[in-house]
Amino acid sequence: MDDAHRTARSDALVRDALRAAVPLFIPAIPFALVLGVAITESAMPTAVAWSTNLFVFAGAAQLATVSLAATATWLTLVATAAVINLRHVMYSAALSPRFTDQPRWFRWVGPFLLIDQLFALTSVRVHLSSRDWRHFYLTAGLFYFVSWTLTVSLGLVVGSSIPTEWRLDVAPAIMFAGLVVLGLTNRPGVVAAVTGAGVCLLALDVPNNGGILVGAISGVVAGYLADVGQAHRADRRTAAP
Amino acid sequence: MSAFAAISAVLAVGMITYVSRAGLIVFLADRPLPANITRALRYVGPAVLSALTVNLVAGGEGIDGIEVEEVAAIGVSIVVAAATRNLIAALGAGMLTLWVLLAIL
Repeated sequence: MDDAHRTARSDALVRDALRAAVPLFIPAIPFALVLGVAITESAMPTAVAWSTNLFVFAGAAQLATVSLAATATWLTLVATAAVINLRHVMYSAALSPRFTDQPRWFRWVGPFLLIDQLFALTSVRVHLSSRDWRHFYLTAGLFYFVSWTLTVSLGLVVGSSIPTEWRLDVAPAIMFAGLVVLGLTNRPGVVAAVTGAGVCLLALDVPNNGGILVGAISGVVAGYLADVGQAHRADRRTAAP
Repeated sequence: MSAFAAISAVLAVGMITYVSRAGLIVFLADRPLPANITRALRYVGPAVLSALTVNLVAGGEGIDGIEVEEVAAIGVSIVVAAATRNLIAALGAGMLTLWVLLAIL
């Protein structure tokens, strides 16, 4: 393949990646703006809270980090963000076969960009060659990284001029509640969410905001058991004559 | 929170986030997770995010920190999110409920 041909094909790939990436970013815009506002209200120094864009780059974990700084201890804050991030292990597991034949630098750099949207886009593009898949991944991933950081920064600028009577401090909780609902795809998921919230409510007096972790662990166990139970019932139904 | 605590917390969260994304790709390439672990991981999202919602509403003040207006706003946003599957609509409806209740109560 000559160079001109290769460049043209690579340009087409970049366009394809951006065309696919933009629509998925739109629903993330309010989230980024809420995070920007939460950064202005954070108990952390503003620059440090803002730097989560560069060091963490994971919306839910960032929002938890900057909003928990007011009430939680260091350890609870870090542990909560860690648990929120556990779902990334699933993405990592699902995509790891696509990384085995990639250059070493990409295996180290690529995962940093692995947000929900990028997973959704790249996990379904199995037909692309290794090289094309890598270009697609990096183009879409860098697009998200840049537009996320810019939108959060915009929220930060806007947020500092909004009066406190508007009670935007409540927006993160509303955001998380909405995210829970959108993430529910089956009954065990509902069981996990209701248990997580219920146990956290009962455990509010556990010191250092430990109720979050107690609730989260109970929710995961409940969801897991409900999932196993559902699979058992389905098995019995198909086994019956 | 002191500047040092904040910086170290952000770096720790960043490192943990990176490891959770890169672990299986960089260190364990091609070794699949046991089915039981995958099954449990699926419920981490709903469990931790709903617990976090409750915690943020309480605002570190235990059960006394829960305001009726906030609970109503979150209830409305849950219903709207379930009905529309749209996060923007859910956020808008929740905030609107909060403002209306704060104005009249």
